Amino acid sequence: MSMAPMADSANGYLWQDGTLRSWLLTTDHKRIALLYMASITAFFILGGVGAALIRLQLLVPAGAILSDETYSRMFTLHGVVMVWLFLVPSIPVTLGNFLVPLMLGARDLAFPRLNLLSWYLFVMAGMLVVYGLFRGGLETGWTFYTPLSTDYTQGHVLPVVAGVFLSGFSSIATGVNFIISIHQLRAPGMTWYRLPLMLWALYATSVIFVLATPVLSITLVLLAFEHFFHVGVFDPALGGDPLLFQHLFWFYSHPAVYIMILPGMGVISEVVSTFCHKPVFGYRFVAWSSISIASIGFLVWGHHMFVAGTSLYAAVVFSMLSFLVSVPSAIKVFNWLGTMHGGAIRLDAPMLYAMGFIGLFTVGGLTGLFLASLASDVHLTQTYFVVAHFHYIMVGGMVSAYFAGLHYWWPKITGRMYPEMWGRTAAGLLFFGFNLTFFPQFLLGYEGMPRRYATYPAQFQVLNVLSSAGASILALAYILPLVYFAWSLLRGARASDNPWQATGLEWRTSSPPPTENFAHVPVVNHDAYDYAALDQANRAASQEPPHA
Amino acid sequence: MPDDLAPYDTPQHRDETAVAGMWLFLASEVLLFGGLFLVVLVYSHTRRAGWIMGVRHTNLIIGSINTLLLLTSSAMYTLAVVAARAGRARRIIAPALGAAGLGVAFLGLKSWEWHLEFSEHLFPGAGFSISGPDAGGAQLFYSFYFLSTALHGLHMLVGIGLILWVCYRMARRRGQPVPVIPVEVVGLYWSFVDLVWILLFPVLYLVGRV
Amino acid sequence: MVRVMACWGALMVLFMGELAIATTGFGPGICAVAVLMGLVIVFGFMRITLAPPLAAIFALGSLFWLAILLSLGSLDSFTRTNFSVGDTLSSRTQNAVTARDRAP
Repeated sequence: MSMAPMADSANGYLWQDGTLRSWLLTTDHKRIALLYMASITAFFILGGVGAALIRLQLLVPAGAILSDETYSRMFTLHGVVMVWLFLVPSIPVTLGNFLVPLMLGARDLAFPRLNLLSWYLFVMAGMLVVYGLFRGGLETGWTFYTPLSTDYTQGHVLPVVAGVFLSGFSSIATGVNFIISIHQLRAPGMTWYRLPLMLWALYATSVIFVLATPVLSITLVLLAFEHFFHVGVFDPALGGDPLLFQHLFWFYSHPAVYIMILPGMGVISEVVSTFCHKPVFGYRFVAWSSISIASIGFLVWGHHMFVAGTSLYAAVVFSMLSFLVSVPSAIKVFNWLGTMHGGAIRLDAPMLYAMGFIGLFTVGGLTGLFLASLASDVHLTQTYFVVAHFHYIMVGGMVSAYFAGLHYWWPKITGRMYPEMWGRTAAGLLFFGFNLTFFPQFLLGYEGMPRRYATYPAQFQVLNVLSSAGASILALAYILPLVYFAWSLLRGARASDNPWQATGLEWRTSSPPPTENFAHVPVVNHDAYDYAALDQANRAASQEPPHA
Repeated sequence: MPDDLAPYDTPQHRDETAVAGMWLFLASEVLLFGGLFLVVLVYSHTRRAGWIMGVRHTNLIIGSINTLLLLTSSAMYTLAVVAARAGRARRIIAPALGAAGLGVAFLGLKSWEWHLEFSEHLFPGAGFSISGPDAGGAQLFYSFYFLSTALHGLHMLVGIGLILWVCYRMARRRGQPVPVIPVEVVGLYWSFVDLVWILLFPVLYLVGRV
Repeated sequence: MVRVMACWGALMVLFMGELAIATTGFGPGICAVAVLMGLVIVFGFMRITLAPPLAAIFALGSLFWLAILLSLGSLDSFTRTNFSVGDTLSSRTQNAVTARDRAP
């Protein structure tokens, strides 16, 4: 545990070979994670600009800047980019890619070249989507509902759909890689119940990647086929069923909501345990709740379609199944609280983000119950209540968790510490700005303001102005980390191997890790969050005379 | 851990991982085609009359010959896999090329069948040749028909490419020990493509014909 | 070699059986034979029993999720009250309403 800046950081994966070629042709999972990080950050900014324009528009009831048509294209841009090019890949492809082999004690993922291919597929997907959006975009919303997307659209459906289709293959490649790696590449002694909970969460996410994404792919193929050849697939004029499109779409896209939250839950489990210096309460329940969220998540998609004209029988079945999924989610929340209870909590930035996550996720989850109930959904669906609900999960939840993870593993990834004070400030701003942005939207939705309209009645203005004000604070909370992370790359204090006194295998190698991850294959002989063993090892190390 | 094997421990570990990875990819493919079968399940139920009209217009003779070709092709490629497992490099290329040839024959017949259907105006859209109150269902059937056969054909093209790649590798590595895994993994894919056709065939040609 | 030929023979027999059943128009029978042929391929050609145990897990998993997709996906269509285009609740309804409006 030497704090010396150590000349051997030059041997870390970051600086070993600095040529552009070595980065673009790398099969090192850590470098691919950084390539992904750069790409999704770009998409996050693009999607964020879309959100900013939306909130600007809604400052005044008549709409401030955009025409109705442009407004539709703007929220479509925001949705498509944020969902498919940021939220779905976010934690798995960056932190997941970086951490899975390190946490397993492996040299790399099971299929390193497939991993690189997945990044190229993702970049191509992103470029296709951006091409479509800059040609003028489309007005279908991120859900591409037929027959608008097939028969009536004036926008550029094909390139965007093709991009989303490609990004699906990138997801499948990542999912295959994670599942096979976790099965096949665990270090000696790393049993399933010794895996960090992050890996359980990523495993569950990968199951969704592998088994739900292909259904999205085929759905988009059907859509593109109908749109391009002007034939009937979902066309009601021929007796086709537009609802069939929605069933196929949501078979993927509801589980995709869990793609967008499960990895975040994995991060929170790691962070909460570390900063309370306590094993996660009820490890096996948290582990299996990830698997059951992923499984039950496949059974509930019909709740997106309660008012779409589905049969009452189907709606009742889907409503009941939707309530089921709240059980494993609640298990997680209670177990995090159980972990914090009686712990010596350190309020560093990752922990602040994590606590924010728990609060926001709870609000998002509980409001989900309103939408899972048939009767209240009829009132609330297609209003800002829904917008607020899923932003509490995806932004309040996933983005908080992503930032928690970024701060937590930043020393490991870069070998540098971020400035703690600024980190705490950004975490506080995120929590405050987020609530100010989206809590008013619950009220707006409850009072009946519909989503996806460029204008609104004057009575809603106060809440909309509050929401837009919150969005500007939120923007600041996003820009701040960009700045100080960049600063810390050059000027940040050198990080030790294990700055947080955490237990995972990733903290047993140097910061940043060498290209081959570990000098020797690690052998695991204790449970995932065994702080007693860690403290004992630290005491033993401090009694030894220091190395020269 | 020997560096040329990283991230695996042993050659056997590497091989096992590759085979498991292929099976997982095929599981993903099951759901890809599963989406298509949901379309069949729904439309053949809700648009039964029109759907059946569509089935009756497909060319059963070409479909049956193609099924025979593909079953035989899959069996032939399996012979190559058996030879690879037994370490008999010389017995790999011939059956593999035979399998690819049968695959090409399948695609040739399939395009002929498509050609016939185009000339009979069975491609959905304006000028669709089936008319009457149930014509909409028949159009839905033919949308499904063309899309599913195109998707299956695309998988066949990929499969034929993979088989040729295996043959090329075997030819170049004459005299060296046989790498079993590429042969086997491609075999899994090729048999899966066959399996998809086995399930598509009755849906496109048989169920509702009589 | 012998095993592969036996499987091929079995597939040929099953295929002829499938065509024979098709002449009677018994749909479930046709599907059952197709599933049997699939099993011959999975066990005879793909040798799932020789593959690592993960293969069987993945195969069963995919069938399980396929079952979810097909059952819950068709549940709505099979229990929905459908109105075909031009009937009561779609375009003609407006005409009907206007007709009724005009009547008195």
